[in-house]
Amino acid sequence: MKRRLLLWALGGALSGVIWPLAGFAFANVEVGQVLQNEDMPTLGGGHAPFLSRKALANVFIFFRPNQDHSLATLKAMALCEKEFAQKPVRWVAVVSDSAEKAAVQATVAEAGIQMPVLVDEGDHLYGKLGVRLHPVVGIADDKFQLVAYVPFHEINYCDMVRVRIRKALHEVDQAAVDRVDNPPKALMPDDIPGAVAKRHVKLGELLLRSRRWDKAAENARFAIEKLPAYAPAHALLGNALAGQGRCAEAGKSFETALRLDPANQAAAAGRKGCAGK
Amino acid sequence: MASRSFRLVTVLAALATAPGALAAPAKGPRASTKHSFKVNLAPLPPSEKAAWSHAPYEAGDCSICHVNADPKKPGPVAKAGNDLCYSCHEEFQEVMARKYKHPPATESCLNCHNPHNSKEKKLLVAELGTLCKDCHRQIKDLAEKSKVKHGALDQGEKCANCHNPHGANIEKLLIQLPFDLCVNCHSVDNMKDHNGVTLTNFKKWLQENKVWHAPVAAKDCSACHRTHGGENFRLLVAEYPAKFYAPYDPKNYALCYGCHNEKVVSVPETKTLTNFRDGTRNLHYVHVNKPDRGRTCRACHEVHASKQPHHIRDGVPYGPKGWILKINYTKTPTGGQCAKTCHETKSYVNRPAAGGPAKR
Repeated sequence: MKRRLLLWALGGALSGVIWPLAGFAFANVEVGQVLQNEDMPTLGGGHAPFLSRKALANVFIFFRPNQDHSLATLKAMALCEKEFAQKPVRWVAVVSDSAEKAAVQATVAEAGIQMPVLVDEGDHLYGKLGVRLHPVVGIADDKFQLVAYVPFHEINYCDMVRVRIRKALHEVDQAAVDRVDNPPKALMPDDIPGAVAKRHVKLGELLLRSRRWDKAAENARFAIEKLPAYAPAHALLGNALAGQGRCAEAGKSFETALRLDPANQAAAAGRKGCAGK
Repeated sequence: MASRSFRLVTVLAALATAPGALAAPAKGPRASTKHSFKVNLAPLPPSEKAAWSHAPYEAGDCSICHVNADPKKPGPVAKAGNDLCYSCHEEFQEVMARKYKHPPATESCLNCHNPHNSKEKKLLVAELGTLCKDCHRQIKDLAEKSKVKHGALDQGEKCANCHNPHGANIEKLLIQLPFDLCVNCHSVDNMKDHNGVTLTNFKKWLQENKVWHAPVAAKDCSACHRTHGGENFRLLVAEYPAKFYAPYDPKNYALCYGCHNEKVVSVPETKTLTNFRDGTRNLHYVHVNKPDRGRTCRACHEVHASKQPHHIRDGVPYGPKGWILKINYTKTPTGGQCAKTCHETKSYVNRPAAGGPAKR
């Protein structure tokens, strides 16, 4: 009993250290648990192992024929398969032996995958892992630990699988996975903080070149109202005022700009130009 | 003008084949190859009142963009392509660095914007919905001809409610993941569909029910809902019985079988397909697979979120008055049970109690 407890504790500790449990995956196997390898018949009539020790990423795709999501997934994975062709990634597709062979062959041909297609006799592997959804992609490392479980997603599925393969290859970290899973909001240009103010400063700078001092000052004031701590806006206002011969007022704007950004060249040059006026 | 038309055709031909264009149905071409209307990039004539004016144009100094300041002879623009626009619109360095780009935006801002003035917001060359659907004609057809319509397409910012027409970090140029976009609107109590049926306040529902269906948890509403319009109720991508009883036909469950294995219901005996079994007797088959009064998925399962595991509902609306019949599901160490519900208390066993043999 003591020995069993010790083994259980050791196993639990190791799984936690190597691959912290990342949540429920297949019905019977969670991310972080070790999968059993097995030799399986292939669609072509031979045999192939489910997993390989030589691969840093063992990618397996459970699919069904005559199903739109499976076909779309296999097509996407066919591209991924090529993309990772030179890397230690091993791909297999797995299909139930209850699926009609001709339909499976047609799906495989249409998808263009090159990976072996393993036939799961009596749904043995399906039952062992508890595969409830199709398609689903699993990724195991070279120690056969399940490191990712990715059920079908209509949006960004390929990106989600790709980044997890790259993580298994130690090319990216968890932060990269998180960025793909939770991509930043694609703000509209006007909603990007500071964008509108900065745009008006750029326009104002162009107006300065045309000696349109009043319009340049107008744009500068608008920008300052939107983004008060933006040094170039104050520098612009200073130079627009200086252009109008209002160096006393301009000086205050140059000082503000240089306080916000001591390296602001437009403000430094403007202040120099106003010196003594 | 002839050269401009040629350029537009070239641009839009590229759009038709390039990845990352706005959403189109899975089958068929992504977008058409030319605008159906004449695009005029000149300032509006004085007889037409502009609602929006570009600040440099408003400033009255043509030399900001053109080689000459004279409005009568502005000459060509000072910089080629989008670089001219980006010299002020610096934020586009970030916008166009996003992974998914709209090819017309990459090619030329002028494909959609008039650089002088316009009757449309954002200086668009046409009304936003018209502009998008002029190229994305399959979406136009879907939106206009579908039996079930989505209000988001013609309210608020229209296409731009969900898509960023410049660049985005998500496929289909989505501004956010589908769930975040959907819940932005579907978080009120009194939203009605086109038939006047009240729609769920999902923010509230999901807060109250913590067991989320995988596509919901994955923020992938599009896995089940066709957001531009469709033929099935609630914009579902495939058929799903709307009622408690239905004769069993796999076609009725096309939505669920898009991900779930139909054998869960079609096979009477199993040791592997489901844990809702008594020994090997498949209880999904027992409940659902009937030629007349098969219980539909909704009889026992919540499709978005539930309080109980396996998305099992607390209760189901039963009878013409929608009386709520409790399911009283309990998970047990060896299986589970449903107590005093549609039937008297029944339990099932399919795994060993601690240290004991499984019922197989």
